[in-house]
Amino acid sequence: MSEQVQDTGMVVKIGHLYPTLMSVAADRGNLFSIQKRCQWRGIATEVEQIYVRQTPDFTKYDLILFHGGADREMELASRDIQAKVPSLIEAAESNTVFLSVCAGFQLLGHYYKPFQGPELKGVGLLDFYTEGGSTRFMTHMALECDFEQTGKRVLVGYENHSGRTYLGPKAQPLGKVIVGWGNNGKDGFEGARYRYVFGTYLHGPVLPKNPWFTDYLIQLALERRYGKVELAPLDDTIENAAHDAALHLAMEFKGTMSAIEATPWKR
Amino acid sequence: MIKENTQSRPVTPSGLERARLALAISAGKLAGASGRLLGVGGGTSLPGLIARRIDPNVLKSVVGASQARKIVITGSNGKTTTARMTAAMAVSNGKRVSHNRAGSNMLQGVTAVAVNFADVFGRLNSDVLLFEIDEGTMPLVMPEIQPDVVVITNIFRDQLDRYGELYSVARALDKTLEDLPETSTILLNGNDPQVANFGQKAKAKRLFFGLESTEVGTPVPEQSADIIRCIHCQEDLVYEVAYMSHLGIYRCPNCGYTLPPLDIAATSIKLAPDGEGPTHVEMRTPQGNMTLEISLPGIHNVYNAAAAIGASLAAGFEKEQLPAALVDIKPAFGRLEKIQAGDQTIYLSFVKNPTSFNLILRLIAQHPGKKHVLLAASHTIVDGEDFSWLWDIDVEAVAQGIADVVCSGNKPEELAMRLKYAEIPVDKISLVEDREAALDAALKNAGPGGTLYILSSYTPTNELRRIMQKRGWVKHVWQE
Repeated sequence: MSEQVQDTGMVVKIGHLYPTLMSVAADRGNLFSIQKRCQWRGIATEVEQIYVRQTPDFTKYDLILFHGGADREMELASRDIQAKVPSLIEAAESNTVFLSVCAGFQLLGHYYKPFQGPELKGVGLLDFYTEGGSTRFMTHMALECDFEQTGKRVLVGYENHSGRTYLGPKAQPLGKVIVGWGNNGKDGFEGARYRYVFGTYLHGPVLPKNPWFTDYLIQLALERRYGKVELAPLDDTIENAAHDAALHLAMEFKGTMSAIEATPWKR
Repeated sequence: MIKENTQSRPVTPSGLERARLALAISAGKLAGASGRLLGVGGGTSLPGLIARRIDPNVLKSVVGASQARKIVITGSNGKTTTARMTAAMAVSNGKRVSHNRAGSNMLQGVTAVAVNFADVFGRLNSDVLLFEIDEGTMPLVMPEIQPDVVVITNIFRDQLDRYGELYSVARALDKTLEDLPETSTILLNGNDPQVANFGQKAKAKRLFFGLESTEVGTPVPEQSADIIRCIHCQEDLVYEVAYMSHLGIYRCPNCGYTLPPLDIAATSIKLAPDGEGPTHVEMRTPQGNMTLEISLPGIHNVYNAAAAIGASLAAGFEKEQLPAALVDIKPAFGRLEKIQAGDQTIYLSFVKNPTSFNLILRLIAQHPGKKHVLLAASHTIVDGEDFSWLWDIDVEAVAQGIADVVCSGNKPEELAMRLKYAEIPVDKISLVEDREAALDAALKNAGPGGTLYILSSYTPTNELRRIMQKRGWVKHVWQE
């Protein structure tokens, strides 16, 4: 990747919400994935880390990342994010792209009620609520997405959550579950979206091994600032191999609640 | 110095129970022996599995009947080396030690200690029983063992796919301490803000070990650090020095939570500049200061030594005999284990979470020249299913020093992808799933007289080591 890349003069402004508080499952890989895939195409990225007690104008970002954390961190984030709500909603309405994962995803909904403990208020950007279950979904997952610009594509990753998410009429699911449990293990849907706000339970992290989705987010973020753009193709041999391996694995673990516990009889 | 243990008085078993115990132990021993004979394994957990099937109480019966000092070592990282150091200290004190030293630390591996070391009547001929126990297995094993000393090395982000989240592992582990009698000692890492707060409800005596020197460490914790907020008021902790991950000298600017006074503290640390050791350490203990030379390199081994010294003192070993045990201690299986492969040298490292991965990467970065590397990761019951954590490793920091990498195990694409996004050129990365072919490819990269660094998750480490053993480069794990 060291060969000279033509500078496009374009830049993606990224807001990374709670980078230390909400960073449980190495989801920073999502940021790396976006940064590198921009860099390899001559697109600059500017990343601002947003911590508790800071209330930037979120409309200045083209893309906002909001990742997972344990219940304890989520409680802090829930309290802090209330001061950020109006600006976050304004950003979403002005076509800022959001990628939210797991606890970050849950906090973009109306509320999260842990299995034990008080209810945590969310942002209400996505029309859904989440309630903690007594069991945990911890397994490989694959879902089918169908976006206008991409057509039918498969997302792969790993889910690890006890929360059950129920969508309201204003949120669309991110995709249909092929393997795994998704939002609640019942309705066959995973994640949520509204405008360019995306939420998912997928770790892995989700972006590196789903380069098509990363590029989709980059494209949406660029188009917010520059109008219609065409992304230069990259050699995704390794990424696609990782994607295919993860899909294969998900199929192998179909129906398992916990991949680890299933392993002895799977192998 | 061996005190009478009144807590675990043996119960007199009935004839039938004795027969079942004898059968369980015999069957377990047989399973271990045939495993070794057939070369399928060192009998590190199979004997425990078989024996428990026959008599679920086998561990409880054998341990309960023994008058030996019982030492448990648990935590995310450093268990195996701390246990080895403690064992060496026990031996230098003239004690006979039974120990699950091959590192099988789940329920079956722990039970294997009882099976392998006891006679068929369940009698142990040992002064010290040393158990290395997986942190998630502790709630299962603790009621069966009733240890005199419990060491908790640290709790890092590890095995999220097995245990859900860090705090639930920590809570369950903390809870196991409540049932310990007053005569027991709990040895906690004072530099770990979460572990230092363990045992608040425990009757047992608490002692703290850790580092107190500012000659080593960094001003802020690394990316993969977990507990960087106050456990009481959730404020961000301020570090005077961070040693590894979230371990350090911390203070909460809001409520003042800070590390407890350390009972066993490394007050001066001189690490070897070449990353190969030895480390010179001044250690403060309740029984006076000690000067140590630790043959194993790196700051993590200073922790291991402090924990081992704490455990040894708590178990009543003579202080004077302890330093000698550290001078020539050899690395445990796959802990930066130096292996001669003809005219080539291999460093074999078992890495299982970002903390251990970063530690080893930083250590080998101190070795001269660009590195030839073999990485291997497999998803299995012991290695886990979710390899997200690869993205918490600071590969970027060492990418410049890497000449080439062979990726192996059954997750080679995942590894290769991580390397690619750290800007390691794709033409320097190869994917070879087969372990033996991968080893040969990596050794070819290293060239005649060259050095190869292997960093690998648990199962491929075993597989690679077995290949090296077949080639006569290393011994069986259980022959060490």
